[in-house]
Parts: sequence; C-alpha cells; structure tokens
Amino acid sequence: MTTSLEFSLVRLTALLICLCVACGFAVGADQPHYVVTNDDVSSILPSSLTFYTVEASGLLTMKGKVSTGTGGIGGGYFAANRLNVLHSGNADCVYASQAATGEIEGITVKTLKVSGHANGSKKDTGASNGVGLAMNAQHLYASFTDSSNIGTFRVLQGCKISFVGDITVGGMQGGVIDGMAIHGDILVATYGDGSIESFNISGGVPVSNGDKQNSTAFRHSGSYPSGIDITKDGHFAIFGDTSTTTVIEVSDISSGKLTPTVVYRPGKGINSSNVLLSPDETLLYISNNQWGRISAAFFDKSSGKISEGCFSGVLKGYVTDWSYLASMALREPTGTGGVVYVAEFGAPSSIAEIAVKSAGGKCTLTESSKSPAADPNSQGLLSIGAFPPRSF
Amino acid sequence: MRAASRCLLAIMVCGISFLSVAAQCPKRPDPGTVVQDALSLHSVNGVLNAELTMRHSVDVGGFNHYCYNYQTSKGDVEAPTLRLSQGDRLVLDVKDRIESDDAGGMEQMDPISTSSGKVCGDSGKMMLSSTNVHFHGLNVPPTCHQDDVLTTLIQPNTPGFQFNIQIPKNEPPGLYWYHPHVHGFTEFQVNGGAAGALIVEGMDKIHPEVAGLTERVFVVRQQYLVPWVPGPYQLTVNYEVADSPSFPPPVIKMKPNEKQFWRVANATIQDFMPLQFWINGKPQQVQLIALDGYPLAKPRFEDTILVPPAGRAEFIVQAPSQNNEATFMSLGYSTGPTGNPDLEQELAKIDVSQDAEEAPAKEIKAAEATPRLSMKSIKFGGLSEQNPTTLRKLYFSEEFGGTNGPIQFYITVDGQKPVVFEGNEKPVITTHVGAVEDWYVENRALETHAFHIHQIHFEMLEVDGKPVKNQDLRDTIEIPFWEGPGHPYHSVKMRMDFRDPTIAGTFVFHCHILLHEDLGMMHKILVLPK
Repeated sequence: MTTSLEFSLVRLTALLICLCVACGFAVGADQPHYVVTNDDVSSILPSSLTFYTVEASGLLTMKGKVSTGTGGIGGGYFAANRLNVLHSGNADCVYASQAATGEIEGITVKTLKVSGHANGSKKDTGASNGVGLAMNAQHLYASFTDSSNIGTFRVLQGCKISFVGDITVGGMQGGVIDGMAIHGDILVATYGDGSIESFNISGGVPVSNGDKQNSTAFRHSGSYPSGIDITKDGHFAIFGDTSTTTVIEVSDISSGKLTPTVVYRPGKGINSSNVLLSPDETLLYISNNQWGRISAAFFDKSSGKISEGCFSGVLKGYVTDWSYLASMALREPTGTGGVVYVAEFGAPSSIAEIAVKSAGGKCTLTESSKSPAADPNSQGLLSIGAFPPRSF
Repeated sequence: MRAASRCLLAIMVCGISFLSVAAQCPKRPDPGTVVQDALSLHSVNGVLNAELTMRHSVDVGGFNHYCYNYQTSKGDVEAPTLRLSQGDRLVLDVKDRIESDDAGGMEQMDPISTSSGKVCGDSGKMMLSSTNVHFHGLNVPPTCHQDDVLTTLIQPNTPGFQFNIQIPKNEPPGLYWYHPHVHGFTEFQVNGGAAGALIVEGMDKIHPEVAGLTERVFVVRQQYLVPWVPGPYQLTVNYEVADSPSFPPPVIKMKPNEKQFWRVANATIQDFMPLQFWINGKPQQVQLIALDGYPLAKPRFEDTILVPPAGRAEFIVQAPSQNNEATFMSLGYSTGPTGNPDLEQELAKIDVSQDAEEAPAKEIKAAEATPRLSMKSIKFGGLSEQNPTTLRKLYFSEEFGGTNGPIQFYITVDGQKPVVFEGNEKPVITTHVGAVEDWYVENRALETHAFHIHQIHFEMLEVDGKPVKNQDLRDTIEIPFWEGPGHPYHSVKMRMDFRDPTIAGTFVFHCHILLHEDLGMMHKILVLPK
C-alpha cells in the first residue's frame, strides 16, 4: 500500500514535472525573440523602431517597423542607450527615446504597437547628442543631454509611463549627462568630461550619493568614462572609456557608493565607449567604436578584475558603408550570449552578427558569413536591444 | 559643451542663411571667368602702410563671407596682396566692422577668455565677431602689435588696431599669408574668405629661374555652408568658385608654351591639396621653387605637390602649345576614417591663347638686374649643420564620445596628460633662445593632421623614421592618419630653430585643420630670452 502510494506520488510528481517542462517549452516557444533598433534619423524624417526576429542560427530577419513620429537626430553620444527593454512579470515592453523632441515611447512587444508616451519638462531634449534610458520595473530614467537633466518616469501597466520629475546634474568639468546604468537602489552616471557620480533611487527620483569624482584614467591619461554596466550582484560598476585606446574602469559599488576606479587596458582597440557584460559575467564585450571591431575581455566577477580576451576581425563594411560601432545586444539571455549584435552607424545602418566562443581561458569573436543585417530604416543607428533581455 | 553649442548654432545658421545680410563684402567673381590676381600693395621707401577693414555678409547661396576690405578710389577690394622686401616695415591698421547683429544666432557661441588675462588691443572676450591677424610663416616676434595671437584682440566698432612689423633683413623671400586667429572662431572667418597673400620679394635673387617670368598669385580658399558640419564644400581660386561640374571652372590665361611663376597658397580650412598641372589629362613636371615661403635649396621637378592646409607652393609651369588642353588640378586625398574626404577638383582650366596678357599679372625683373642671395644668408641657413640640444616627442590624438561630439582633439607632449588648449594654460614646452631641437611628432588619430608652429620654420629630417630626400624648410606639414592597431603611427621628425633672439616669448603650435585648432588641438611654447 505504502509502496503503491509512493509509486503513485512519484508518477504524479513525474507527470507534473513533465507538464511543467512542457509548459515551459511552450511558453519559450511562444515568447518572441527579437533584436530591436531605435532607428535614429534626422528630425525631419519619420523615426521608428525596427523589430528583427532572431533565427535559430542567430541571423536576423525583419519582423516589423513601429513608427514613432518624428524626432530623431541621426547621431549622438555612443553611450546614451536610446532603447531599453522591460521583461518583468506580465510587462513586456520596449521603451525608446526621441532625441529632438525628448519624447519617450512605450511599445508593447506582443502587439508591436506604441502603447504609451511621455515627455519630461520643457527643456528635456537631446537634440545634439540623444536621450539615454535606464530602467527597472518601477521607474524609467532618461538622460536629457540638452538640459543635462535626469528625468524620472513611473512605469505603468500596459507599457505606459508618466513623468515624475527632473534633477539637473553635471560633471566636474562642466560635462553633461552621458551614460547611465541602474541596479537595485543605485543609478550610476557618466558626464563625458572624465567624471562619474552615483545616485540613490530608492525613492524614485535620484538623490546624489555625494560621490562625484574624476575617474582614475581621466586623472592619469585623459580618457573619460562613457558607457556603464553593473554586475548582477551590484558589486561592481564597469565603465567603458572614450579613449584613443581600449580603457575599462571598474568601481566597487558594494557600499552603495562609487569608489575610485581601477583602470584596465585589455588589449588593442580604439575607443571603448560601449560595454556589455555577458549573462554569465565571464566576458565583457567592448564596442571599439572607432576601430571597426569589437573586443571581449575576461571578467572575474568575484574580484572585478579584467584581463585581455579576444577581438573580432574588421567588420564588413567599415569605412565604406558605416563609420562607427555603438551599442550591443546578445542573442541569448544566458551564458556568453552566443552571438553579439552591434550597431553599425551608417546611412543606411546595419547590425553586425558576431559569434562568441569561449572555453579554457580563450575566446573568439567571428562575424557571421551573412552579417551584417541591413537596417534600412535607420540613417544613424547607435542603439539596439534584445528581447528577452539579460536578467540583470 | 562647445560641440553642442556648435550644433545648435548650425541649426540656427542654416535657418538664417537665406536672410538678407547687408552686402558688406565686395561681390566675388562669377564662375567660369578669368582668374584675376588680388590687388598688390607695395612698400614705398621701405614701408607698406595699409588699412584693412574686416566685414561680414551672407551671399545668396547662404555662404558667409568674411572679408578684409581695402578701400580704393574705385571701391573696396578684398584681401590685397601685401608686398614687402627684406628689412621693410609693415604698418597695417585693421578695423573690425563685423555687424554681428545681422548674423542672427552667431553670437550664441560661447565667448572665450583671452590668454592669462593679458590684453593687447581691445579688451573683452574672444567672440565670433572679434578678430585679429596672424602673419602665417613670418619669422617675426610673438609680441603685441607684431605676430601675437594669444592676447591680440580687435573688437567690433572700436577704433581699430595697428600692426607694426619689421620684416627681418634675412627673412626668406617667398609667399606668406595672413588670416584671423581668434581661438575658437578662426575657422568661421577663414571659411568666409578672410585670408590674403603676403610676399617677401626677392625670390629671383636666390632662384634666377623665376626671373623674367609672369608671376601669378593664387589663393585657394574653401567654403562650407556650416564649416564644422561634414558635407559639400566649394573650393575657390582668388574667390572664384572651383566646383566643376556644378559650375564652369575658373580660367587662367597663358600664352602658348609660356612659362609662368605660380605662387599658390592653400588658405582652405582643412583641404589637403595634391596639386598637379595637366596637359591633355596627363600630369606634367613643374619646377618647384619654394615651399611654405622658403626657397628650396635647389629647385626640382615634381609632378605632384602636396600642399596641406596653410601650406604654400611656388613653382614654374609651362603652358602647352595651342590646341592642347591644360588644367590645374587638386587631386583627391584621403584623410582617414574619421577625416573629411578631400575630393578631386579642377581648380582652373588653362586658356592657351595669344591674348593672355589681358590677365593682370606681375612680371619679375630679369635676373641680370639683381644680385644673388645665398641660402646661407637667409634665416635658418645652415640649420642642418647644427647639433640639436633636445629631442622632444609629441603626438596628435582624438577621442570621440559620439558621432556629434564631444570630440577631444589633442596635441600632446609625450609624458604629459592629453588636454585641450585653454587660453590661460601654462606653456607645455619651455625652451630658450639659442636652442636647436629635434621634434618627433606622430599621429595616433584616425585622421590626417597638419602640424604648424608659429614664428619659425622647421627643417624636415625624417618621415616615418626614414631620412627625407629633401630637407626642406616648412612651417606646416601633414602627418597621415593611423591605419589602426597593428600598423605603426605615421610620424615626422623636424629640426626646430630657436636661435633667433627676436622670437623670444610665448607662441603656439597646432593642427592647421582649423576646426581642430579651434577645439583645442593647440598648445603654447615659451622661448625664454638668453
């Protein structure tokens, strides 16, 4: 009897597990898998977001274009991410900024339609250099490069947002807000002038942590932090520097504040304004904005140390079809990400597809034979994202 | 910060470009007409007195004109050629009558404090409507009322400013030029055409090959609608648009088989010009006489003369016989992945005809009438025999924070922190009168740069680590762009001569792509008196 009951329970458990796994696969199968571009164009032309379906091979095919009116600029800061993806609970949204108008749109991933939009205060635009975004499930933060304001928006159901308020920020040398990243209650910002600062966002609107400082590399060699990523546990903030070489800086933020950065120079490359950690945090992808290649450096998430990894060949079309590399996205939200997609700034623009292999302390970055994917809707692509995103 | 201001300004300038601005500048020649030399002003009894008035207007095409107006009995002419001999004195009065209010949003530019608070001329901050004058290439003191650009300021509607410059008795005969040099705003005014030739006479005394030849002075300028926005531009030859096939090319008249002595100044804001003289589509050998206002040790034949922005080339060309086509060309030139492309352009069509004398031009006296000068008797003579006291290494580099900026343009002394020029900065190099130094300058940027130093010429020693065939004296030299990691930096090695006690003081070296200079690719050098 006991045996029979145990057997039945085991069978029931097995059945439930199978059902759950099957359901999981079914959910995974239904969940769209996109790379999304914020198609920056001149403000006199209509702007859009383009959704590309990620094929099993990693290649991209265009799914659809979501028009967002007029308001792009076709260029700007490399490190201002003009696009952010929310994948939290039932909320599957892509938020994108329009530089010239400062408007932020919320697009529902399921329908590929604009569901919400909001503006900051009157001067909140980025007509020269763009509007960057960073967000969690509660708030979205926008870096308005014209006003040097950080705008706070409340995230509402249905991919809607509402404006909460602004704070004006600025660097130690007069720089304006450039890159942003958030983790838990901390928002980290760069100012494009060599200085960095963190903010407490536990109350929604950022409050300075009083740690504004010039970065170590800026003080010693004149490069300046631009793009930012933060580790999954919130221990380290990693800065990609605008530089004539590859310069990465790491600050321990486990105390809730920035500490002086440690400087790493992981190999060759020109400029390192965009950085992105792999989901497993073993690799740091670096967009060498002016080198026509990307790099991967090894990252030790326990110590925050960075060491030289590998770099791709010169990506197809460099100089002839496009001139700069900018932000990156990953095919997979786990492991190394499998394939790195990188925005190629041209008119029209394109998206490079670079396969990642990493094992035994070595890595390779190889551009796909069918790369790049054309992005005909963009005349100045700088910002891309992936859905579903990395978990942190 | 300034880059953002510039982009906003670009929008405003584009917006107002079709507004009418009172035509303060003389009308410029129509396309396809015969190229005229600028009016020449000669020194009399050892002195050249002249008054220039800087004015501004916008033409019907939206191009901003900045002009050095010189008043004649027949009306104003633009940017006369100043002609002096060794030992002469130039007394030049310059007034600023830029009516900035008519230029719409231009005053939105951030004003810049003058260096160290010192003032030479008018006080106030450097603005778009401020001006001054740099006498490019002249080896004269960097002091107030001479060739000082750090503190000299002429503000609009003030009484004006007088330059009083003694041309050294051993100044090399050759082609120099003058242009504004207000830090932060130089590019605007030069883009608008504010540039003129200055000739120290006597080339025939060193190189009699030019004696008896008709001399032509061609100032090539460049105009963008908005100078810091990459895009279409026009070259002009003595203000006549050279933009074929959109417009008919300028015409230069020559008699069949005639030899002429051409003195060409590259007064563009950023165009590297590989010059050629074609007959029936084929480049011809021209006899190169001088570069950057300095006579070559020995004239030589070349089929291509690369003239960087601010450089000059003086050479003898020979027209073909009648019924052959001849053209004066500037070839395309790659300035690298982040540089602006310099496109091939026909600068002029040569009209070979017997009536060529219609074009006003100067004929240099026959050599027999003039004594010869030796190369050793002019400034920097025998420099190659000097032992350098110091070796310095400098480098160009750029940092791009985005496609629209901020772009940091650096020229850095190796070992120092890269910083952009600030008016109140301390000199990054200090040396002393009597020093002879070798400078090694490399280009770590993905864009070609043009090194220029005020007050002196330098002797070319090496390019990319290899000794040059011709140790020419230059004041501006191109350093090609870096091809990227895995490739060496391109470099030049030059001998700098600080022996002349009259150049003691503080002056600058910089990239002569004028946007780069305006954005800080420049620094000060202090030459202490002995």
